[in-house]
Amino acid sequence: MVLELHVWGPAFHLPSIDAECLAAVAYLSQTTNSAEYRLIQSSPSAVPTHHLPALHDLTSDTWTSGFGPITAHIRAHPPPTFRDNDASPPPGSSHSAQSRQRAAAADATAYSAFLTAHAAPLLALSLYVSSANWAATTRPAYSAILPFPLPWIEPSAVRAAMADRAGHLGMSSLDTDAADAEKGSGDSVSSAGWVQVPASLRSKMAATSVKEALTPEQASRIRLDGMAADVLDVLAEVEWEPASATAVDEATTTTAVRCLAFAYLALMLLPDVPRPWLKDVMRARYPGLCDFIGRFAIDCFSAGGAGGPLPWATSSSGGSSSNSVGGVCARFAHGLAGEMPLVGRQWRRWWTQRGKKQQPEEQHQKGLGKQTVVTRNGSKNKDVLLLAGAGLATLAVVNAAVFWYRALPPFGAPVQTWRLPLVSLSTLGAAGAMFASVLSDVE
Amino acid sequence: MSAPATTTTPSRRLPVPRPLQKLFDCVPLLTYEANGLPARSQSATSGDLPTLYVFTSDEDARLGAPSFNPGCLKWQTFLRLAGVEFRILPSTNHASPTGSLPFLLPARTTDTKTAPEPETLRLDAYQALLDLPIRNAWLQALYLDSDQSALLDRLYIEPASSSRWIRTTLRHQLRRAAEQEILKTTSTPSSTTVDDKALYAAAWDAFNALAVLLAESETGWFFSSPAPTLFDASVFAYTHLMLQLLDAPDDDDEVHGGLMPPRSNLRRLGAMVRNAGSGELALHQRRVRELAWLEPAAVAVEGIL
Repeated sequence: MVLELHVWGPAFHLPSIDAECLAAVAYLSQTTNSAEYRLIQSSPSAVPTHHLPALHDLTSDTWTSGFGPITAHIRAHPPPTFRDNDASPPPGSSHSAQSRQRAAAADATAYSAFLTAHAAPLLALSLYVSSANWAATTRPAYSAILPFPLPWIEPSAVRAAMADRAGHLGMSSLDTDAADAEKGSGDSVSSAGWVQVPASLRSKMAATSVKEALTPEQASRIRLDGMAADVLDVLAEVEWEPASATAVDEATTTTAVRCLAFAYLALMLLPDVPRPWLKDVMRARYPGLCDFIGRFAIDCFSAGGAGGPLPWATSSSGGSSSNSVGGVCARFAHGLAGEMPLVGRQWRRWWTQRGKKQQPEEQHQKGLGKQTVVTRNGSKNKDVLLLAGAGLATLAVVNAAVFWYRALPPFGAPVQTWRLPLVSLSTLGAAGAMFASVLSDVE
Repeated sequence: MSAPATTTTPSRRLPVPRPLQKLFDCVPLLTYEANGLPARSQSATSGDLPTLYVFTSDEDARLGAPSFNPGCLKWQTFLRLAGVEFRILPSTNHASPTGSLPFLLPARTTDTKTAPEPETLRLDAYQALLDLPIRNAWLQALYLDSDQSALLDRLYIEPASSSRWIRTTLRHQLRRAAEQEILKTTSTPSSTTVDDKALYAAAWDAFNALAVLLAESETGWFFSSPAPTLFDASVFAYTHLMLQLLDAPDDDDEVHGGLMPPRSNLRRLGAMVRNAGSGELALHQRRVRELAWLEPAAVAVEGIL
């Protein structure tokens, strides 16, 4: 038990909702015995690298994040039962075998980059940018895998990042939430004039043109199909599976890139979304890819498959408290601080850098410069101190605000009052005083 | 009282007071002649040669030297390789109709030429190597690494303005934009810092993959094409600039048979280009450079300019 893989939790009958996490799970289950590692359901705020998937190597106490760095780390420090089908052939093997091996490795690098550069934005369009799919499928899935207050914060951040990622495709019309927010609520009055038609009637009357009656996905279906074809044509050309189990060493792809391709394609095909344009394209035109997904999923994740049942664990053995009530509250507070206008960005940047700076020297000595490695020793106390300090500061600010508010006069009370001075004879100079004394005498 | 106004414009309803009208009758006091176009506009807007607007300096533009921006250099190289006669002029993003350089202003009379283009879907996969890991490493090295800030200043900041305040702001903006570009492609929602070691490791893998691809080819050009293609030009755009700008001499014993990036020069992208595979990329860079810049035909074009 030397490896802990922290991933987003399961969704859509798959072990993870995120493509890179899914690929990392598949890679470990393909290459390593399930007794050698554990899977821990997590979220970016719970790991020191702030990015999932994250691999915690307990022997050297290092954190590695990202699919590429994780596979590199596992190959460099293999667990005892590691089976690497992509290892370079023995030196005595033929020249053609070696060159084929090198070509396969180069292809694997290229297709990994292709998947990250092009399949990820396409997947983001389908699951994250499209408002209907996000509301009906993806957001509920995130809510199911996150502990209670976190679904308020983290899924929207993930969605914003994914929308950024797909921004260059120019399909923001799928995001009807943003369009509605822009329109605001005021336009119903302005467009209807002085006759107020009830909203339920108005929408049916207004949808006179074909374009308005279509959902955004239907309206831009031709462009979406073109984008999907651009990506899937390239992927469909590759032979993702070795021709037979015995010909593994003649495979044209490596295990790592196969896992990555499976992860992206499975998340395109399997989720049950209300606007299934991507799914339809795959089913109709790329049956080969669909078959590959089905076989690979059975091979990897079924109980009788290569790796056996997946070794899920509830909490990490390092005594991490990130899933306890306090830990979740701290993550929630951290997320809230990150969402604050003006200062949120600085806060997050500072927090991340702080996590990464911890003991960089040691990491150099270990010669692990190639991976993203974050080592964390005894920083827990500092974190607690820091959180307590931040909490105290927040408390002080809140108290000051409450005090100031209490000092305000009651609502509606006059802030200034003018009183008419009492005019009497004694205020009219010496003569007045004389008359006043005379009058008081009379009385 | 309405008499003075009606003398000039009888139809006007509101009379203009006499003194005001006198004042405005004097305007314009003097009409200048229209300014002549600046002298360089003659070469900038007209001509029989198409003009490619790129990031470069005045001196380099006159010589037709390679641009220092990978996106511009790609198309500059491609046009030269295709044998198109054109000229380059220095410009900035603000001048471009699309907001980014390069852009091409075609000549008044055009003839069409066709360039060879390999027809393979594998090209898309290898193109992704340039678009993602290599571009990210270039952005990281030039914009975000503090040891290259002098170079960044020389290329992009100093030609833009001589004011210290504007330069500081510009530098900050460029850095921020480069960081956003990198973060966008790595999908790290909550993390707002760039992981430079992973970027350079990914770039090293990418260069090795390109070197293997080039070694497969029989003709010396990518995908065994008989002549250099757009893909050769886009690889050259990065390798040339990394060898020219981001290189430093390294010790041979640092390179472990091409298996690991040279550790002391982990950040030297030029060293990565030279050491990837068995040096195929550096040879390729030299071939493209000789073909595009040192052929007599190309020199003749420069003679016209």
